[in-house]
Amino acid sequence: MLKEHPTLRHVFGRAGWYFLTFLVAGTLNFVLPRLGDANPVDVVMSKVSGNIDAKTAREKEEAYLKEFGLVEVDSAGKIVRDAGGKPVKASIVSQFVNYVGMCLSGDFGTSIHQYPKKVGEIIKTAIPWTIALQLPTIVFGWIIGNILGALAAYKRGVFDRLFYPLALLASAVPAFCFGILLVYLFAIRLEWFPAAGGYSEGLTQTLSWEFIRSASYYYLLPFLAIFIPVVGGQAIGMRSMCIYELGTDYVKYAKLLGIKENKILFYMFRNAMLPQLTGLALALGAMVGGSLIAEIVFSYPGLGLTILTAIQGNDYSVITGATLLLTVCVLVANFSVDVLIGFLDPRVAAGIARSE
Amino acid sequence: MSEPILEVQDLRLHYLTRFGEKIHAVDGVTFELKKGEILGIAGESGCGKTTLVSGLLGLYIPPLHHTSGDVRIEGKSIIGMGVERNRKEVLGQKIAMIPQGALNSLNPTRKVKDLATDMILAHEEGADRKVVYDRLRERFGRIGLDAEHVLNSYPVALPAGTKQRVVIGISTLMNPKVVIADEPTSALDVSTQKAVIRLLFELLDQGIVSSMLFITHELPLLRHVSSRIAVMYAGEFVEHGTTEQVIFDGRQPYTRALMGSMLSAEPGQKSKKPIAIEGAPPNLAKPIAGCRFAERCPVARLDCPTTKQVLRIVEGREVRCKYAESTPQTVGNMGAGST
Amino acid sequence: MFKGLLKSPAFLFGAGLFVLTLLVAFVAPVFMNLDAKTRVGLAYVAPSSAHWLGTDHLGLDMLSRLVAGLRSSLYVGFLAGIVATIVGTLIGVYGGYKGGLLDDILTVLTNLFLVIPQLIVLILLSASLQEGRSRTLIALIIGMTGWTWSARAVRAQASTLRSRDHVSLARINGYSTLGIVVLHILPYLLSYVFMVFILQTAIAILSEATISLLGLGPYDSVSLGTILNDAIKSEALLDGAWWAFFPPMILVTVIAFSLYVVNTAMEGVFNPRLRK
Repeated sequence: MLKEHPTLRHVFGRAGWYFLTFLVAGTLNFVLPRLGDANPVDVVMSKVSGNIDAKTAREKEEAYLKEFGLVEVDSAGKIVRDAGGKPVKASIVSQFVNYVGMCLSGDFGTSIHQYPKKVGEIIKTAIPWTIALQLPTIVFGWIIGNILGALAAYKRGVFDRLFYPLALLASAVPAFCFGILLVYLFAIRLEWFPAAGGYSEGLTQTLSWEFIRSASYYYLLPFLAIFIPVVGGQAIGMRSMCIYELGTDYVKYAKLLGIKENKILFYMFRNAMLPQLTGLALALGAMVGGSLIAEIVFSYPGLGLTILTAIQGNDYSVITGATLLLTVCVLVANFSVDVLIGFLDPRVAAGIARSE
Repeated sequence: MSEPILEVQDLRLHYLTRFGEKIHAVDGVTFELKKGEILGIAGESGCGKTTLVSGLLGLYIPPLHHTSGDVRIEGKSIIGMGVERNRKEVLGQKIAMIPQGALNSLNPTRKVKDLATDMILAHEEGADRKVVYDRLRERFGRIGLDAEHVLNSYPVALPAGTKQRVVIGISTLMNPKVVIADEPTSALDVSTQKAVIRLLFELLDQGIVSSMLFITHELPLLRHVSSRIAVMYAGEFVEHGTTEQVIFDGRQPYTRALMGSMLSAEPGQKSKKPIAIEGAPPNLAKPIAGCRFAERCPVARLDCPTTKQVLRIVEGREVRCKYAESTPQTVGNMGAGST
Repeated sequence: MFKGLLKSPAFLFGAGLFVLTLLVAFVAPVFMNLDAKTRVGLAYVAPSSAHWLGTDHLGLDMLSRLVAGLRSSLYVGFLAGIVATIVGTLIGVYGGYKGGLLDDILTVLTNLFLVIPQLIVLILLSASLQEGRSRTLIALIIGMTGWTWSARAVRAQASTLRSRDHVSLARINGYSTLGIVVLHILPYLLSYVFMVFILQTAIAILSEATISLLGLGPYDSVSLGTILNDAIKSEALLDGAWWAFFPPMILVTVIAFSLYVVNTAMEGVFNPRLRK
């Protein structure tokens, strides 16, 4: 059955590839933080210790070591000790197994900075904000940017001459710089919009009309900070692609045949969109990264701020949990774009293998 | 029925450069095409062939402008129509072109049937897609293609010869009265070339197209295909006659030089060496009053650059040369007895 | 070849801008008294004639800190750019030239690094290094994670060179792969690799600013990114202390922008020749 559906084959192939990437990313997520000497327990201890005696301190430390999976635990749940009575450190392999087990069951561990809060809890509140901000922004930014770029390529003239340098500037400025600019201009100086946060203080996060209104108000500046650079970047790329397409033989031929202008524009857009989609897939990781920084500038209650706070508090559990989740999101997004390309690219439909 | 299908009367076209200069790329071309005729057009690059073709199609898009003259297809003039009317009624409908480099002319992201349907719908708005599809199937079958397969394929899946046929098929879908073939076989191997030429003849025979303009650089093709040949230089026809007359007994020195330079390794011709024509075509912004070929003409006389040259009938064909009767056989190496 | 560059106004503009920042970073300290270590006032005092950019969160002279930070950022960006270019070029050239299984493996590797966001890897690595984060180390990890772009670009160029006559000749004559790569392929790619290097440096400077802004930058040195991080931590943004964040931000943008312009200008001059 798969033989007759090259598109399906493509989708399955990409799924397999992304799964492999996920495995690598997950492993990296585990290995990298443990390369240094960071010991999460030390951090926790430094917070907790104070007026406790040595014995209680040691008990607490062992309890934490057990909780963070850093020591060997026997089948009864008790810490395995060596000849001298000291806890046996868990090997890196068993730590890894533990890690995989925890991830599969959805338990990302316990936060260090905000002990004893669970990592999952912390991330759960932040993720909707990030998705609500980044997803529409990147999607609409891509669509609008490409439309504007196509317009500029088709119309040329005054519109293009005005638009091109603006788009170039917008694409060259990093997202966080835009954020800073917008905050300073519109929030600090002009005081038209709030400078920080996701919603007015004092409001609870419910789906009440009041909350939604407030959240939208706080949404605008962060939205623009990410939206404008994305539009600029896409417009520049699309403009070049369209200018190229408009000069191709097939456009000339379509004109010779008497095919309508609108149809020809449709050809141009459709053909230029494919490389743009591919470009999107390649740039998604960087886009998400840049947007996270923009979030931080606005103290927006999303993953960006969560990671920043975690870094400031040496909270390795939250850092690794958040980065793993982010990577998964980027992989899912990339996969979606790849599937979309698979459906739109006739070379795939014709059964010709796409080379990366 | 001896009414001409295509009438071109003293057509003059110019380009407007950024500096306001007028380049007279086509400077007074007159000819007729009757039903079933194939007119071959030969000339160097820059002689105005491409501009002439644009003019015949009605594609007057700046910087190309119509200066004066008329182009009539079946008696109706196509000059002065707006862009939209020209697109709908003329392009592809009355007169169609098979472009050079046809192999890249098919939109890679569009199935053949969709492109062909787009073409039909551009001229017959609101046509029923099912009816159109049946029409496509019938036509593509007639031109020797496996219609079902080809129509539902993307261009990338088709071999070069098939693609060429597809282009010819799509260009002639609306049964245009005049079809212009611009180097239709340049990128093909010999056997495919033959098949394409045969197809073009069939289209003419079956009445799908009524007349043809054939542009090529290859002498054997020109000879095999055309019933008449017009030689173009510097925006004008310098000789226009039957195939035999123009190829073997050209009266304009340029004709002979051109034919000589187009010589290919045909049997019997191997002993003759091709002669490249020295020099370059003249500047058409300020055409000189006299013969435009004079500065490169091997037998030019003193008064050639200053005497206005007109087309006149010499030995049964039109020639633009004052001294056409006495053009030496040695020019162009096509004459008998020269080496 | 270089004459063409000198005639391009875009190149002159971009290069000039970049040279200007270099001058500010390395020549200005010679002429001005830029002491970045002595407290001169309270935190975030506004600019005055004595301190053109006011003070930072520790009361140190902002201008001095800025220039010192500029030097660090340039150093990190430059070093990371070199590392990324070397790694990417090697991977790209070998994959592109050899083709086959080696190419497939290297492509898989490249795509892995491409899809997994560089920022994430940087965060994880930097966090684990803690106090060990020197400028050099940061530069190294930025370089080791950011090479994918150059690998892709160089690979495309190298695979077109594979079929050139002089390369085939060398292969027939028994040159080793290394020999062919060094003697017959790299020379043709030099101008391209240089362009790639410019771009990688620009990207590296942005990466450094980003990672430092998060608080994971060089531990003991100041860079443009760390100044921004200080500004965020002390909420200078909300207090309107523009001198705390605008100068480093503008500098980062200017450096990246100037390098982008130079790269685009070089593309205009070099590329027509490199196309098949």
